[in-house]
Amino acid sequence: MFNSIPGTPQSNSRKISGVKIFSCIKPVVDPSARFAINESKTWIKTQDATFVASEADNYALEEALRLREKHNGEAVAISLGGEEAAKVLRAGLAMGADRAIQLSDTKLRGATEFNIAEALARAIEKDGGADLVLTGVQSDDLGTGATGVMLAEFLGWSHATVAIAISANPESKTLQVERELEGGVIERVELTLPSVVTVQYGANQPRYASLKGIMAAKKKPFVVWSANDLGLTASDSMLEVKELVVPEKKSRVEILSGTPEESVTLLVEKLRKEAKVL
Amino acid sequence: MILVIAEHREGKLTSSSKELVVFAQRAGRDLGLPVQALVLGSAGVDLETLETAKIERIITIDDTRLNAYDPDAWVQAVKAVADQRNPDLIVAGHTTQGMDFMPRLAVALRRPLVPGCVDYAKIGDQLVLTRQVFNAKMNLKVAPKAEGTCLATLVPGSFPGDEMETGGTPEKEVVQVDLAKIPVRRRSLGLSKASKGNVDLASASVIVAGGRGLKQKENFSLISELADALGGAVGASRPVVDAEWLPREYQIGSSGQTVSPKLYVAVGISGAIQHLVGMQNARCIVAINKDPEAPIFKVAHYGIVDDLFKVVPALTKLVRDLRG
Repeated sequence: MFNSIPGTPQSNSRKISGVKIFSCIKPVVDPSARFAINESKTWIKTQDATFVASEADNYALEEALRLREKHNGEAVAISLGGEEAAKVLRAGLAMGADRAIQLSDTKLRGATEFNIAEALARAIEKDGGADLVLTGVQSDDLGTGATGVMLAEFLGWSHATVAIAISANPESKTLQVERELEGGVIERVELTLPSVVTVQYGANQPRYASLKGIMAAKKKPFVVWSANDLGLTASDSMLEVKELVVPEKKSRVEILSGTPEESVTLLVEKLRKEAKVL
Repeated sequence: MILVIAEHREGKLTSSSKELVVFAQRAGRDLGLPVQALVLGSAGVDLETLETAKIERIITIDDTRLNAYDPDAWVQAVKAVADQRNPDLIVAGHTTQGMDFMPRLAVALRRPLVPGCVDYAKIGDQLVLTRQVFNAKMNLKVAPKAEGTCLATLVPGSFPGDEMETGGTPEKEVVQVDLAKIPVRRRSLGLSKASKGNVDLASASVIVAGGRGLKQKENFSLISELADALGGAVGASRPVVDAEWLPREYQIGSSGQTVSPKLYVAVGISGAIQHLVGMQNARCIVAINKDPEAPIFKVAHYGIVDDLFKVVPALTKLVRDLRG
């Protein structure tokens, strides 16, 4: 797969040495920061914000690195966006990805899951396809886990969501995945490769970038593709954003204030006399 | 027409299916649209809930490819119905199943998807859907730009399933769809239940649960000491389990245990929706968290906004003193 020619369409007869895995990384505004809504009330203020890789994408990248270490091949980090995407890609390279592709174009700005998935699919095809694409189960901003599944449909590949364990069998072109369903139920599925798999939080322990990794990252291939390179025109969202709001508090909560001693005294009294649970 | 994709497991419609019907009945009335329910792989499924619902029609599709869930078969089956009838809205649960096929269906139909909806409004003639973003810290209101089918997934618990309008006599229609040509590229190898070990939180009457706010594993003793004092059990949120401070069986939430104790004390838990669905039915909820914006305060009855490292030891001491 190393010597595949960019632009060659994916085919099932592709000769591979090892597995080629894409790891999609979404840059998001640091979720630990306090968010402010922008002037047009359509999104949060992103100016001067610190961007980090969406947390679940770290588990996806770690899974990609482990599969590559086991089966050889390559792990390619891919992200959409401007400097914030370049930043998370550099972090991905430092963790151990072999090369990076940044999809950067003002035409791709403000993209929804649908547009992001389409752009990723075009880029993966342009790069000659892959055996496996991994994404985090959901992002820390839109947070719905739609992009990976949409990507699978754009590529015409099989997929599985909410993976907590993945093992590949490149010879038989299959993948075994354990999925976490509601109520602690685990489903085991076998997929025919190529596939897209979304990786659940906690599926592994993502490694930290070593100093050596950070130095090595600077020499790794890093390409930037525009919307034109992908044959895309401006991303046209089929949805109109009306308003971003802080949810109304329908809350019934009674906040007990004072020093810690005062507040817990008040709490115990309420629990005994009002709620009658103590 | 609003098309509800009913979900079922082990021969029964799930509780989220009923919530979908409630959402569809209300949105349908506001928008002047009839409601139809689609059940895939309906053989052996108890459809009684739908049969008495005030909806226009129940559509069932049965095929060997629909005996077990497979996103490819699900997408093709729903697409066949949608292509024929052009529903205004297709709605499924924001569940591990709904979110496994609805995004594919949206791409296959080239139609917009609004995932993670919690509410809707009719503004003018337009349907505006409210979806959760930023881990439920904010809501984004969106509307489809053009006429035609829109897809949405509804977060479980957003609409009250027990307020479904009944007394209807929906028509029943069996639809045939040729699914034989869809390649089989996903095979289910079976379901299993993650071990609960000896931790049965479901029967505990008092639960003290700790979250990421405890900062490190060693600090979890604060939780067990308070639980001991209260005569209760210890639980945890997902990040605690992911960090391996506690085994998986202590996890409360959508991917762990669902609990409804008499008293639930959430310490250092911000309250991601996945956690809330596992504990919001507790009779009395106490939240201790230093972030006043934490979503856990929306479901709590009593809250203390302060440093847990000061509050919890004080609470433990007080409870111990009272109980002698």
